[in-house]
Amino acid sequence: MVDLASFAGPFLPEILLLAGTLLVFLLDVVGVRRIEITGGVAVGAVALALFFVLADLGFAPIAFLATVPSGQVDQFVPGATPLYSFASLGFVFQAIFLLAALLVSLASISRPTGERGAPIFYGLLLLATLGMLLVAIASDLIFLLLSIELTSISTYLLVGYTRKDVRSLEAAMKFYIIGALSTTLSFFGASLLYGAYGTTNLLAIRAVAGAVGSPVIVLLGYAFLISGLSFKATLVPFHAWAVDVYDGAPSDVTAFLTGASKKVGLFAFYLVFLGPVLFVAPGAGGSPFSGGVLNLGPVVQLTLSVLAVVTMSVGNILALLQKEMKRMLAYSSISQAGYMLIGIAVGTSPAIAGATLQMFAHAFMKTGAFLVVAGVTALGVGPLIDDWKGLGTRRPLLGVAFGLMLLSLAGVPLTVGFVSKFVLFSAAVEAQGYFVWLAVAGLLNSALSVFYYARVLKVIFFDQPAPTALPSRAVVGGSGPPALPAGGLGYARATAIALVAVAIVVFGIYPQPVLSAIQSAAQHFVAVGA
Amino acid sequence: MTVPLLSLIVVSLAVGTVGTFLAGKWARWVALGATVVFLLEVAVLFVAYPGWPGYDSALVPGFANGETYSWISVTWLHINYSVGVDGISLVLILLTAILQLATVVYSWEESKRPAAYFGLVQLTCLGCFGVFVALDVLLFFLFWEAVLVPMFFLVGYWGGPQRRYAALKFFIYTHVASIVMLVGLLAMAFYSGASSFDFSAIYASARGLSTVVQTFLFLALFFGFGVKFPIVPFHTWLPDAHVEAPTGGSVLLAGLLLKLGGYGLIRWAVETLPSGFHTLQPLLYLVAFVSIIWGSVLSLAQRDMKRLVAYSSINHMGIVLLGIALGTSLGLTAAVLLMFAHGVVSALLFMASGSVHHTFGTRDIPEVGGITPTTPTLSTLIMVGSLASLGLPALISFPAEFLALLATWNSLAYWVAIPLAILVVTAGFYIWMMQRMLFGPPKGIPAEAHDVPWYEGASMAMLVVLIVLFGILPGLLVNVILSSPIHGFPGT
Repeated sequence: MVDLASFAGPFLPEILLLAGTLLVFLLDVVGVRRIEITGGVAVGAVALALFFVLADLGFAPIAFLATVPSGQVDQFVPGATPLYSFASLGFVFQAIFLLAALLVSLASISRPTGERGAPIFYGLLLLATLGMLLVAIASDLIFLLLSIELTSISTYLLVGYTRKDVRSLEAAMKFYIIGALSTTLSFFGASLLYGAYGTTNLLAIRAVAGAVGSPVIVLLGYAFLISGLSFKATLVPFHAWAVDVYDGAPSDVTAFLTGASKKVGLFAFYLVFLGPVLFVAPGAGGSPFSGGVLNLGPVVQLTLSVLAVVTMSVGNILALLQKEMKRMLAYSSISQAGYMLIGIAVGTSPAIAGATLQMFAHAFMKTGAFLVVAGVTALGVGPLIDDWKGLGTRRPLLGVAFGLMLLSLAGVPLTVGFVSKFVLFSAAVEAQGYFVWLAVAGLLNSALSVFYYARVLKVIFFDQPAPTALPSRAVVGGSGPPALPAGGLGYARATAIALVAVAIVVFGIYPQPVLSAIQSAAQHFVAVGA
Repeated sequence: MTVPLLSLIVVSLAVGTVGTFLAGKWARWVALGATVVFLLEVAVLFVAYPGWPGYDSALVPGFANGETYSWISVTWLHINYSVGVDGISLVLILLTAILQLATVVYSWEESKRPAAYFGLVQLTCLGCFGVFVALDVLLFFLFWEAVLVPMFFLVGYWGGPQRRYAALKFFIYTHVASIVMLVGLLAMAFYSGASSFDFSAIYASARGLSTVVQTFLFLALFFGFGVKFPIVPFHTWLPDAHVEAPTGGSVLLAGLLLKLGGYGLIRWAVETLPSGFHTLQPLLYLVAFVSIIWGSVLSLAQRDMKRLVAYSSINHMGIVLLGIALGTSLGLTAAVLLMFAHGVVSALLFMASGSVHHTFGTRDIPEVGGITPTTPTLSTLIMVGSLASLGLPALISFPAEFLALLATWNSLAYWVAIPLAILVVTAGFYIWMMQRMLFGPPKGIPAEAHDVPWYEGASMAMLVVLIVLFGILPGLLVNVILSSPIHGFPGT
């Protein structure tokens, strides 16, 4: 007899999200469409799921509530080919995804008007998050790609859910077409790998990867897989869609795309390459061919290193040239993906920890930044960076919060962005070899990125506001839609933004708890490989 | 039981800063209170320092008031919150406290968002204090960068007409330099195989690195610290930032921020990388001489009083670099003493030029003349500042510059002619400025011009008292500096 509790228990976070999705749609059917209610359901589901994931990670006061029995975490049974397995690094990523989802769903309760579509928005958001949670526990290529697909399809719809805005519709269409292409590439790569290995299980591939009979097929398979996943992770040269989609989508959706979905692609890189490819390679760093056996590690590492450097450099240079706030942030988001890829290319457990910490930091900073953009747009501010003149003087608190996010993105000390970059780059240096140059490239890029972040700081704090720019507090709501409380932002959005600002400083000063959890997760991941 | 005095000061400064930001119209009183507390704490620090008032050989080498707590600890990184003071940092901490008080009092009537202004002033001083006490690479870098942000806002929001350009230039110049410095510091920590990021661990292992590696590391660090100095040719941010900064910002820029470069060079490069230092000594000499000459000659050509003082800072910091480059005990002592002297004197001169601007509506030296009958107090203060800056005996710069020249003579013999000759030029442009502005027939004096208000006069008078006190009794500071561990280190 199947014990339902022991089967369902480990999936409690996923079940919570699924239940939340169904509840939101059900409420829609019976006519309850108030955004406070649907939003509340979503926030509750995500927050509960996050709570249990944190319990699974073993944080002291709530560890006894862990849903996954500790015997099942970070365990690898030789010869087994499970579809999914529970790794503490997977839990870390679930937490990151849920954090981004929590911030977005909380802030979106304060949508500017009583516009329709709240149930669709929240339902799709929960569904996409569910897909991400599944990605985090995948240990089979097909399971992984299908979970990514669940996330992707939900986000295609999210981008275009408003249905009226032509720009969003165009973005959704573009997103869908590129997404389909990327899926095709990924599945084609996976099928080639199946041909070569005779299995799609990542753990099984790990066991045989060192002795490949037909290296050409394997190389082709991984090449297609890298291309497919690179679209998801917005790596240059697979990035062109991202800016248009990030720009065209409603800003709250963009916050979710960059805060969470981008990391789905990057986590897939972890699963596909770190376990099976990099660690199996005998004598990593040696020649690709030794004794007739294909040594994939160095090839993949070099490919990923080149992608990392190109991605961060191109992202930064193009960000420097942007005049619109959203496009600037979009390019900066692309360059951040390059930093994260450094950790994957290096592939040691410190580097994995560094990259994961960078993603954790990025989830806060970039999600927060786009939530601010959404709020400020609702106040009637135009898309250009110059339209933001005077934000710092008219809305000091909002200006300071946004400034903190930018400083954190630039990697200025006492912010979480500094700690994550520091840990990441130091891990690359620690790995020695040519990875030291990856750290140097990362540092140079950080220096370059300061230019465009400082420019925004200058605009919002020092420049005189144009007469048509941001209306002062009293004028908001003079005409048009009624003003929201909390300075036109709405309480929920203001809370989310404040949470991000506080988190940036707190984790910037005291990162040790997060760092310890991520480090031990990364060590287990290296040991187990999934 | 030992009191964690340094952490106490950090906390009290942080509380003062936050309190000031939130204090609204009471901001200046909160700032003043916090500053007085800071001064008292520094006084306790001095009294408790075993190397004061006399040289204590038992202390060498070592740091007083040491504290260490684990901060970031993962397998490949061990970063601590480590602080401690020696004589060098103690003198510069004293300077920090003095200048914070002077700035707060001078800006007493600041009307443009006073809460934010006084908060940022304290934040800058907090960062400087942290730099002077940090004994961990990352902590040091953190405080180093923490100085940058408030100064960016001080220049960019409260500054003159070109403030935005100046603030951005300042931020980018110094941030890029910081990145290079960070690379150098991290490379030093990693390549030496130090067990942690603590100064003691790095000191123990970095000296064992090969000369080639040490040279490269020193070069990176020298660039990072040099931009803050500033050394020619990376000095162009300084005149712009100074001219556009509000007076309080200029005081902190010249008085404290420039000292960070000198302190960092001594603490994190000269002490830890002796072979690299000795290899690059000729380069340091060259840069020092060029800065001395360049700063002085350009000062001659300035019309704007503030710009003149800014360029003379480049000249003085060149002498500081020369003292450090000598690598002798005497040279280092002279360099630190000169840093203190320049901190106080340039603060006085920047305040005076700020007052000139308030009173006469311009700082253009040829535009105003004969101001002594109208504003006798201001005129006296300018005179004391100028005389101190050109090195008149019995004022604080004299013993410092004298020691520097003596140390140069001991090590480089006749090369001392270069700084000596430039002293004449320095005297020249200050005396010429005094002659044009203070004396002669009155010119460009508005009818409503009146002497400096009490708060500006009081803050400047306080500095004058210190200039005279330490000018007559430089031994008070020299003994403290001499008790620093660096004098016991091999190779210096």
